[in-house]
Amino acid sequence: MFFHIFLERNMLLHPRHFGPHLRDKLIAKLMKDIEGTCSGRHGFVVAITGVEDIGKGLIREGTGFVTFPVKYKCVVFRPFKGEILEAVVTMVNKMGFFAEAGPVQIFVSNHLIPDDMEFQSGDVPNYTTSDGSVKIQKESEVRLKIIGTRVDATEIFCIGTIKDDFLGVINDPGAAS
Amino acid sequence: MSSFEPFNRLVRLAARAFYDDITMKGDNQPKTGRGDNRGMAVVVLDALTRRQWVREEDLAKALKLHSKQLRRTLRFFEEEKLVTREHRKETAKGVKIYNAAIAATADGQQPVKEGDEKNKIHTHSYCCLDYAQIYDVVRYRLHRMKKKLKDELDSRNTIQQYICPNCGKRYSAFDALQLVSMIDEYFHCENCNGELIAESDKFAVEEMGDGDDNARRRRREKLRDMLQKMEEQLKPLMTQLARVKDLAVPEFGGLLAWEARVQATARVIGDSNASDSKSSLGQGYGGTPMPFLGETRVEVALPGMDVKEEDTGLDTKSASMKVLPPWMIKKGMVLTKEQRGEVKAGIETAQSLYTTDEKKPGAEKEEGKNIQDEYLKAYYAALVKRQEEQEAASRKMQEEGETYKASAAEFSNGIGELTDRQVGMKSKRENDENDNVYWEDSTSTVSGNVGETFKLADLNAQPEASGDDEEDIDWEEG
Ligand SMILES: [Zn+2]
Repeated sequence: MFFHIFLERNMLLHPRHFGPHLRDKLIAKLMKDIEGTCSGRHGFVVAITGVEDIGKGLIREGTGFVTFPVKYKCVVFRPFKGEILEAVVTMVNKMGFFAEAGPVQIFVSNHLIPDDMEFQSGDVPNYTTSDGSVKIQKESEVRLKIIGTRVDATEIFCIGTIKDDFLGVINDPGAAS
Repeated sequence: MSSFEPFNRLVRLAARAFYDDITMKGDNQPKTGRGDNRGMAVVVLDALTRRQWVREEDLAKALKLHSKQLRRTLRFFEEEKLVTREHRKETAKGVKIYNAAIAATADGQQPVKEGDEKNKIHTHSYCCLDYAQIYDVVRYRLHRMKKKLKDELDSRNTIQQYICPNCGKRYSAFDALQLVSMIDEYFHCENCNGELIAESDKFAVEEMGDGDDNARRRRREKLRDMLQKMEEQLKPLMTQLARVKDLAVPEFGGLLAWEARVQATARVIGDSNASDSKSSLGQGYGGTPMPFLGETRVEVALPGMDVKEEDTGLDTKSASMKVLPPWMIKKGMVLTKEQRGEVKAGIETAQSLYTTDEKKPGAEKEEGKNIQDEYLKAYYAALVKRQEEQEAASRKMQEEGETYKASAAEFSNGIGELTDRQVGMKSKRENDENDNVYWEDSTSTVSGNVGETFKLADLNAQPEASGDDEEDIDWEEG
């Protein structure tokens, strides 16, 4: 799920940036530092949409670095248990398949794939129904449900299932091309 | 009428299935004795099936409940989406409009009280059942219950666990990313590079803790058991749902619309033969009297009609509703106490008088006598008017008896750890506390017949139950 929230951070800025473009430098650094990172509480920071407030800088003794408390607004993405996501399959093996929804990695183990789909090894490993009408392989787009999340400092890993109503392949790359 | 009864039955079944055990906890419960009011929810819902839009004060009065208590219950049902409520500020005039509407549905039933005819503006709350929504809510609830159990049984929504056959190290699906190997299609152990195998039906950590295999198997068995019990015990409810599926859902509309319509209807027809022609107006509103009042005659025919309708419609299932199926009787045998509840609402009141006398002949007797005097007055007033309706009402009671018995038997050893309990007993206690003389007009007046009805409805009727009853009646008449 996406959220548009305010966050705060103390930015450490090198004295060489002190000058007419200090503010721009600060924001550029903020974007570089924050965008694409992940926190367990808020999820992935997708984009910073604005800087609300930059507080008074505090000079660090000895180094000359200055810390600015910066309040900014950003879009974050955090997967939740029970959430339905659409994801692109990145890898298929006998144990299940991996998929990505933006920055989130999702693993769907084979017992959470419908029982009528069987694993087929080969050049393009895939899961296929017995009549061959539905096929999950690399680059397939699937709709899945998150049943568990694990959040690390730098990444969020999810376990998903496609064993429920209206879940599964939503487009078939083999059929489309 | 025919459009209402199936839905009312649905409400009664649902009430006993889901709201039997609900306690309405006040924010500050002053007296400990009043703390336990389980079963009240069922009584309130039942009362609502016999009414349309009703002012909550009147309902409270009719049920001998404190209006605050009733409001709490109704608020709960509003949240549960069973009941629609409307609040409006009104002067005495507004009250009159409502009373007129009530009078139109059943002339003379509501004692229009002239006492507080001032120009003060009061906020009055009205409520009625929302049948369309009830149908959906009950279906959704059943669906969720079933899905939850089934999902857990199929070990859906559980995180797969893996184990290394060589070193015994365990992994969960969360580690999948680190375990993938580029060489083949299996997961490999981080320690010894052995091929991991999936642990079959390991439940998610959060639910199981690290329980051993036995605990897991027990849980599975319990789940399967629960699912089966649920199917079995909620069967009457599901049958009823299936039965009302294709029926037009009765709707009252908003309070204002309802009042207007009721009055219009009454005007067209004229008061005298309202009950005869009302049903011809179609089911929108016309066929919906306060069942125990205006159109009792229509209702007398109902049980028979019902049977016919059911027979033609879903003959396999309807048979099980009218003729008691063996499993129902069997359970009933064991649970005779349970069955004494609802049917005996009438008896209960009479009985409670009797029992107080019996228990404390001295001090309590005086009080009891007062109560009895009051009861006598009310009884005689009602008796004359209702005498010819008794037959009809008793029929209805019998039907309700069956309804209740079905559900009581079903739920006495319910899905969860529902405690064994008698709804009747609860309401009796309620009675005692509030010094209620009678539980509700309709039921108390029928009490003469209840003994009989009871026997008809219940093969296990206890002899002293009817004995008490008769004795009481004798006393009342002498
Ligand atoms: Zn190992």
